[in-house]
Amino acid sequence: MNCVVDVCLFSFSLDVLSEMSVKAFELVPAVERDLLMGDKARINIECIECCGKHLYVGTNDCFIHHFLLDEVTSSKGKLTYSAQKLLHKYLGLKKPVAELRAASALERLIVLCDGIVFLVDMVTLESVPSAAGGGVRIRGVTAFCINENPVNGDPFCVEMGVLSSKRRTVQVYMVFEDRVQLVKEVNTPEQPCAVSLDGYFLCLALTTQYMILNYNTGAAQDLFPYDSEEKRPIVKRISREEFLLAAPGGLGMFANAEGVSQRAPVSWSESVIAAAVCFPYVVALDENFITIHSMLDQQLKQTLSFRDGQVLQDFEGKVMLASTKAVYVLVPLPMERQIQDLLANHRVEEALILTEGAQRNIPKDKFQILHRRILQQAGFIKFGQLQFLEAQEHFRKGQLDVRELISLYPLLLPVSSTFTRCHPPLHEFADLNHLAQGDQEKVLQCKKFLITYLGEVRSTEVANGCREDVDTALLKLYAEQNHNSLLDLLASDNACVLADCIPWLEKYHKYFALGLLYHCNGQDSAALQLWIRVVDGELQDCTRSDLYEYIVDFLCCTSNLDLVWKYADWALRKDPSKGVHIFTKRPAFTDQSDLSPDDVISYLGKNQQALLLYVEHLVLEKRIQKEMIHTNLAVLYLERVLSLLSKSPTDEEQLTRAREKLQAFLRESSLYRARFILGKIDNCEKLLLERATLHGKLEEHDTALHILVHKLRDFSSAEAFCMWASSSRDSAYQRQLFHLLLGVYLDGSPPAAGAGSSELQMAAVDLLNRHGEVFDAVCVLRMLPDGWSLQLLRPFLNRAVRASMHACRTSQIALGLAHSENLQLLHDRLKEVRKPIFVSEKKGCHLCHNTFSEPNVVCLPGGVPVHTHCVAQRVRDSPTKKRLTNSSNHT
Amino acid sequence: MPDLSKMKKPDVKVVLLGDMNVGKTSLLHRYMERKFKDTVSTVGGAFFLKQWGPYNISIWDTAGREQFHGLGSMYCRGAAAVILTYDVTNWQSLAEIEERFLSLTDTANHDCIYALVGNKADLTDPKVHLSQDADGQTKDPTGGDEERTEPQVLSAVPTPPASPTSFSGLVLHKQVTRDDALSLYERILRYKGLDEKSSLPADKMCFETSAKTGYNVDVLFETLFDLVLPSILRKRHENRESPTVDLEDSGGVGSKRARSSCC
Ligand SMILES: Nc1nc2c(ncn2[C@@H]2O[C@H](COP(=O)(O)OP(=O)(O)OP(=O)(O)O)[C@@H](O)[C@H]2O)c(=O)[nH]1
Ligand SMILES: [Mg+2]
Repeated sequence: MNCVVDVCLFSFSLDVLSEMSVKAFELVPAVERDLLMGDKARINIECIECCGKHLYVGTNDCFIHHFLLDEVTSSKGKLTYSAQKLLHKYLGLKKPVAELRAASALERLIVLCDGIVFLVDMVTLESVPSAAGGGVRIRGVTAFCINENPVNGDPFCVEMGVLSSKRRTVQVYMVFEDRVQLVKEVNTPEQPCAVSLDGYFLCLALTTQYMILNYNTGAAQDLFPYDSEEKRPIVKRISREEFLLAAPGGLGMFANAEGVSQRAPVSWSESVIAAAVCFPYVVALDENFITIHSMLDQQLKQTLSFRDGQVLQDFEGKVMLASTKAVYVLVPLPMERQIQDLLANHRVEEALILTEGAQRNIPKDKFQILHRRILQQAGFIKFGQLQFLEAQEHFRKGQLDVRELISLYPLLLPVSSTFTRCHPPLHEFADLNHLAQGDQEKVLQCKKFLITYLGEVRSTEVANGCREDVDTALLKLYAEQNHNSLLDLLASDNACVLADCIPWLEKYHKYFALGLLYHCNGQDSAALQLWIRVVDGELQDCTRSDLYEYIVDFLCCTSNLDLVWKYADWALRKDPSKGVHIFTKRPAFTDQSDLSPDDVISYLGKNQQALLLYVEHLVLEKRIQKEMIHTNLAVLYLERVLSLLSKSPTDEEQLTRAREKLQAFLRESSLYRARFILGKIDNCEKLLLERATLHGKLEEHDTALHILVHKLRDFSSAEAFCMWASSSRDSAYQRQLFHLLLGVYLDGSPPAAGAGSSELQMAAVDLLNRHGEVFDAVCVLRMLPDGWSLQLLRPFLNRAVRASMHACRTSQIALGLAHSENLQLLHDRLKEVRKPIFVSEKKGCHLCHNTFSEPNVVCLPGGVPVHTHCVAQRVRDSPTKKRLTNSSNHT
Repeated sequence: MPDLSKMKKPDVKVVLLGDMNVGKTSLLHRYMERKFKDTVSTVGGAFFLKQWGPYNISIWDTAGREQFHGLGSMYCRGAAAVILTYDVTNWQSLAEIEERFLSLTDTANHDCIYALVGNKADLTDPKVHLSQDADGQTKDPTGGDEERTEPQVLSAVPTPPASPTSFSGLVLHKQVTRDDALSLYERILRYKGLDEKSSLPADKMCFETSAKTGYNVDVLFETLFDLVLPSILRKRHENRESPTVDLEDSGGVGSKRARSSCC
């Protein structure tokens, strides 16, 4: 029990000495001095061999000691070894035991002592007599090695490479239970001094260089030079066809059987005497230290003080060391613990390299879990250092549950969230304030990072299963940071938790956003109420200056008619002309159960202005052809005009505009009930033009013209009336109207009338001079009073005479032409009657250029034969004929 | 014993050789990490894996120190490209290539590609600075390459500099001219027993670079990578033909090297 105390003291002193903060290994005593040589100062350990629980120690006084080594794990998880001595045996050669190798299948130890290789029994340590009598011995040996990758399939046979002192050769032996057999001897260019064997490959240290030799093919590959006088070579097989060599400059070089280095070298001291690999570490022993390098990044990871080091060797993965007096085991710390140590020291990159390097030693699923966790921890370390890019990359690769990150930020997770941080924790931070130590700038940076991070992950599978938490957190951050994307988030498909967001959005006066959130949650009514309060100035939120228009738009687009009926009233009161857009701008829903115009009209009933806009919309834009609606619009226009008229003083400009609208509508629509409208203004002396129009609609042109000419005395309107009232009729109708007007002018001015009637006369003259073409001149002349001067009507008469002359001459020309054509034809016919006309299949028709297939043809003037149908066609298309048929219209 | 050979197997190897202090490590840092940082003289060697399209290229940085000279042959064994590096401000560093380093390349592939690189061009050539304009785009002053070098982060170079001396205080004398390099390249080809006409033109394979400013560094590596592609394809093809099959590379499972059972 003394021994346990010793262990503690010893490892304590080592910890103090170790200069690296990674602890990859712990040195644990296995056999202590007491057990080996007691206080005999001159006895030293020379070599060791370990095979399962059996440990053999060779000493300089030619003894082999045999121990049973047991692993003991204390209740605290501390590993110790207890050694029990089984036997020791003097080999009788008085020389140090240089080398010991177990061949456990043969139950033999291969011993090198005094230049002799021989076999002893593993249990009794007795020398094994040869099958042929005498001992099994190979003499003159300087070094030997065992092939750990044997080429011979026999399990009861060990392959051994042997170097001898005198010859420049390497011998390969098969070792059996009771004999050895030389199988190959190969020459080397120089004296070899160290050897290692893998398959057929001998890796050799010669006097001035290292080389690889294939003893089967004899192929040799130089590796690199070194100086054996200056330093002791190391040739260590570390894995299949790969060796570790001591190179100049204190390097540990790797070389494979092809002579290629596949890993970068590690840097040792010049005095390294032995090395071994315990993945991912290279362990080396020199005079005073054990150094441990990582093969992953070539860095020195740990140094342990170790005096009088004699042996460093790995046995089936277990690395053992011996000083001159005691034996130790170099116990690797669990990989996870090493990684955690690195992380604890914020050595993130190294921790990750180590984790990834450990992949091969850990089952795949376990590795994935470990790797993820390490990445997540690494991410939080980087996060704590505000290195967000790296952090994000680690989080992404480590598939971090984003809520771990969100939960660092106070109050972001919804109350309803079921999330709890994982245990053991991924980081050391209580929350963001703890992390930032009150530095508000840091807090802000972290928040900005979370905004980008959540923005990126929310639509990926990372957010699966926690979309509510992610979206809610994001919404809160956006609101707090006054971020533009708040509205985008709400406009997109989102899973924000309403109850949790309400107080938050209210706190930051984001009422518009809150309304959107209500809307997302199907609570449009709540949204509208809130927005209305903002528009009415009860609540402050300047997100949208056009919130009123937004509401109108919202109502316009909603399919919920109850909402429309409920809130349109408010909108119309606020601004009838914009509010009415709720009804007029409604997108065409396919659904027929949508708002019916009648319902809207009756809803708008109280609101004249809106109603007018709505009905106008129905008529002018929707082009609804319903008598009732048109009448309604006419009435509305009229009422507006009447109401303007009744005001005093009247706003002339408005009145003009209102009347123009009314007049235009009265003229252009023909669906309203004209009689009904007329009834409303029949005795209104201010709306004469409108009355005339209405009479016109009713085809009471007499009355209409009478009003226009006598009451209004507006002759140009009267003329215009004739034009529009006949606009869609034929010319006879128009003529009739103009005659009527002329009649009104003339009737109102008897020849001997006063000044007033000469005005009408002038109107009649103007009418004739301007629209002469419409009139039937003969009729007009009959109507005109006899006393009128010719001079007065000259333009009219001129035009009338010229028109009649033109018609007369045109018909004379047509007549003459027809006559001459007739004569010409007669002449031709007489000529052709006497001549034969040749028709053949080779000659084509002059008109269509096709051949003739029958004898019936028509002769053109000049005796040219053509098809009957071609000539018929030509006559139909003939320009002469066309001209003739049209000529009657031509003036 | 754990199987140590399981690493991302490089498809091809590129080796940097040259005297100590010429800037091999700096060139690699510049290319791999996009920055110029302090270095210590390399001990032994180091290597980086570069993903180039679907291929893994291992780039070995060797130590220029005399002490490690003996390792050079081993690093060069099986190399598909060797970058022979000198320092344009140091004539001796060019001479060393011929005297010390060329023979190390005897172990390289028979079709190995050689590039001759004069580093630290920033110390002698104002153009190398000028190419660092404000928006960080590097224009290749020789006009020979379309490739664009990465945007540089330059410590304290004002734009545009008034005179060459204002770049770094002084402009060193350029000891190695381009003609020197071109004629060495021709001697290298002769040493290799290569026909000048059928080999890559000296003009294309002699570079002047600056690890400090990044000038021409991407061009150098990427030109080489493109040139070694055929070598990769050939190697893959050979692997497919050979009796030992790398099951891992072809996505299979099982032992790393399956000895063929018929022999
Ligand atoms: N001005 C300038 N200095 C450089 C450049 N490249 C490297 N240096 C400097 O030159 C010195 C040596 O650079 P390294 O990259 O360590 O040289 P090396 O070739 O790797 O040297 P060894 O590892 O000893 O073989 C360092 O101080 C670098 O800062 C360059 O392009 N311009
Ligand atoms: Mg270097």
